[in-house]
Amino acid sequence: MKSNLKLWTIVLTTGIFFTSCSSDDDSMAKDEEKPEITINYDGGFPQACTELVKGETYNFRARITDNMALASYSLDIHHNFDHHTHDDQGAQCDLEPVKEAVNPMLYMENFSLADGPVSYEIDIPITISENVDTGDYHCMFSVTDQTGWQSRTSVDIKIIE
Amino acid sequence: MTDKILAVWFSIGLSLLSFAQTSSTVKGVVVDAQTQTPVSGANIIGDRLYAVSSENGEFTLENVGTGTVIKVTHLGYSPAFVTIPADHRDRRIVVQLTETNTKLEEVQVVGNAKERSTRKFPLSTVEASGAFLEANRENSLMQTLSKIPGVSTINIGSGQSKPVIRGLGFNRVSVVQNGVKHEAQQWGNDHGLEIDQYGIEHIRIIKGPASLLYGSDAIAGVVDLQAPKIPEARSFTGEVNLLGESNNNLFGVSAGVQSRKDRWFYRARFTYRDYADYKVPADRINYESYIFELHKNRLRNTAGNEVNGAFSIGYIGSNIKSETFFSNVYAKNGFFANAHGLEVRTSSIDYDRSERDIDLPFHLVNHFKVINNTTFYEGQHTIDLELGFQNNHREEHSEPVPHGYMPKPDHSKERVFDKTTFSLNARNTFTPHEKHRVVFGINTEFQNNNISGWGFLIPKYNRFTAGIFAYDHIAISDKLSFQGGLRYDFGLVDTRPYVDWFPSTVKQSDGSTSSVYVQRAQHKNLRFGNISGSAGISYTTKNTSYKLHIGKSFRMPLSNELASDGVNYHMFRYEKGNLDLDPEASYQLDIDVDHNTKNFSLGISPFVNFFENFIYLNPTPNYYETVQIYEYTQSKVFRIGGELRFGYALTENLRMDASAEYVHSRQLNGPKKNFTLPFSPPFSGLISGNYQFRKDLLCFRHLQVTADYRITAKQDEIVPPENTTDGYQVLNLSVMSDLDLFSSLKQVQLRFKLNNVFNTRYFNHTSFYRMIDVPEAGRNVSLSLTIPF
Repeated sequence: MKSNLKLWTIVLTTGIFFTSCSSDDDSMAKDEEKPEITINYDGGFPQACTELVKGETYNFRARITDNMALASYSLDIHHNFDHHTHDDQGAQCDLEPVKEAVNPMLYMENFSLADGPVSYEIDIPITISENVDTGDYHCMFSVTDQTGWQSRTSVDIKIIE
Repeated sequence: MTDKILAVWFSIGLSLLSFAQTSSTVKGVVVDAQTQTPVSGANIIGDRLYAVSSENGEFTLENVGTGTVIKVTHLGYSPAFVTIPADHRDRRIVVQLTETNTKLEEVQVVGNAKERSTRKFPLSTVEASGAFLEANRENSLMQTLSKIPGVSTINIGSGQSKPVIRGLGFNRVSVVQNGVKHEAQQWGNDHGLEIDQYGIEHIRIIKGPASLLYGSDAIAGVVDLQAPKIPEARSFTGEVNLLGESNNNLFGVSAGVQSRKDRWFYRARFTYRDYADYKVPADRINYESYIFELHKNRLRNTAGNEVNGAFSIGYIGSNIKSETFFSNVYAKNGFFANAHGLEVRTSSIDYDRSERDIDLPFHLVNHFKVINNTTFYEGQHTIDLELGFQNNHREEHSEPVPHGYMPKPDHSKERVFDKTTFSLNARNTFTPHEKHRVVFGINTEFQNNNISGWGFLIPKYNRFTAGIFAYDHIAISDKLSFQGGLRYDFGLVDTRPYVDWFPSTVKQSDGSTSSVYVQRAQHKNLRFGNISGSAGISYTTKNTSYKLHIGKSFRMPLSNELASDGVNYHMFRYEKGNLDLDPEASYQLDIDVDHNTKNFSLGISPFVNFFENFIYLNPTPNYYETVQIYEYTQSKVFRIGGELRFGYALTENLRMDASAEYVHSRQLNGPKKNFTLPFSPPFSGLISGNYQFRKDLLCFRHLQVTADYRITAKQDEIVPPENTTDGYQVLNLSVMSDLDLFSSLKQVQLRFKLNNVFNTRYFNHTSFYRMIDVPEAGRNVSLSLTIPF
């Protein structure tokens, strides 16, 4: 009888312990959604395998959205002469043979959005310098929201004469 | 029952008398007859006499007449009767106890508090015996231990893992081997524990704050790999273990010998393992919008190998015991070729030409250790000394590519860490009175960390820490004991400057740009001090033990948390340290109830925990050179959880066990308020059935079949940048048997194991490859043979 009592004490403690853990209230709201980024719309630029001509100016455009507030975005353009990576657009571009970089184009810029919009169109004008190496390049857009969630998209492009 | 009443009566009577009378004191020590190691917690009972042997097996009896017979008992040993000799004043009485345990019983014992000392230790503790390790052997030590409720792992592929206790890992769990803290690059995402899992006889896992005894980092718990037992006098034994696995085509061999003459003994072990890329139940990996086709379901370039050697030599005298351990662990592991960390890579390397080779990216690690354990027994004092030297050399290699402003490097050595650690622990256990066991001591450690390679994450640094502690274990009665103590720690961290080897374009305040070699780490001297402590009580009856413990533990900030300043391209993040971080302080309340009878067992161990300033790498909304800035930040954190364990022997042969583990964490302030902590393990349960055949089948003896069914819930409590992970159910089967091959005295142990029986495709929330959507390993057949000689 005595050991039964002991047993019930243990079972009860267990019950209380596990019910108290599961009573999570939802009032503790938190942002659980990542921002979204895409170049797959009319006006999104560049598209996969786009060829950029030296000396021309292009507007790099991507659409970003978030459920609460967008915070920052960035654009990175670097060479892919060594074929170290590929894009996430599904299309396979014809890559030129592997080569050493001499004066590759390098673009790295960060931008912040002051008023925390829920949607925005990235629009960055970039002039392709006359003296950069032609060949395969990789272009990557990134976006964060105010919570610190991030999304990225990347696309393979070329710079030609 | 009468015995117990008498024992309590005697102890009360004795405690009243002991101060009044000083004559005829008998001093003795209780040792294991086979190993000559001290047995603590043994009951010494005589006519109006009672004592319990201390941690080092010693006991003292007051007011004893010559010719008195004392009875010495301990769980797991046969009782011994000793007559007090006439010359007892001149020498210590040595009581030898013979073990009654058989191997099969030991397997079941795991998860229960085995030793009396463990039952009286006020923190939630699990003992894993060599037999448990043998029966549950997985690919890495921590995977083997993850069957224990409350213990989980962070896995990096098939061959590496790091410990997690109740949801906390990295530097919040101390791994101690032979009394000395294992020091490597524990903070690293892709770092695994570099310890040979063979040759370990006994592991004590403490679930809870244990800084008082183990110092900084023992904030969530301790994995204490204890020194093996001293071999029997005039003996020579050995074993060879062979292991084969189907999933990653693993072949492993480990051979160990140990021998003792009379006073001198030695041990030696060699382990070699080689494995191929492991297989997952998927033809392709879908990570964000990338698709990686897998060749024959193999996760390319995850092969690896491991070569370990260990040797020790020891001496046992009447008042001294000393052993010096030399060990070296070498491992080389490939990383998944298509994405290293989060970074998607293509390569001209033909990874699929062989599943056994290790191409870039890979890492290799070499851990060399020399540890000396020496114990002096001097009257009421036992002095333990632990000296350690260890060198951890780790290299991360990857194909050189230009990143940001960094041009293409001309070699593959991306990061090299070379860390040397010297440790010195000294401890005095003193029994001023048979009810008190007072322990005081110091722990000191010096670390020197050097770096090289073209990538930069943490600076070169020196670190010195010293801690001083004292605690008292009071046996209030036969059943009730109290343990409490205090500790003070002091730490100095000296970080060295680091300047990039390439120039970066930096914008000046006037809008112009210039090309500079960026200085990423400054020369800084930082000091830390901390007071920690704990108090607990335990109440132990024949079948049940109750424990209540409250403790404050702490952790010194690491150099990466203080002084990181670099882009981790594999994780696409810029990691920024914070020199203003305070030592982490954690307060925890633990309850542990453990009930065991022959056919039934039940255990529950809930805890509540509060961190004043939990350090974590917080993803900010900002960018640095187009990668997201992650900053080391501190926040208040509340955690609650625990484990539940239940076992029932349905029949003589069939036993069912079930366990569950749960942790809930919440950040109470800071930029991730209301979010959980990174790598939070989901609610998980394990149901096991074990059938033991009482009769031998052909040459199979002690045949037993075990089925483990793991049920894990969905984890939707996440923090950026994690993804939620669905729940899963996995079935594992194993068959174990002894074989009468060469001799009936030394039977060959056979183990056949089938993991992930249904080749289930599931994700482990705390696995390193989870972040790139790689499922866990598929079906695996493993066969292991242990041949003693």
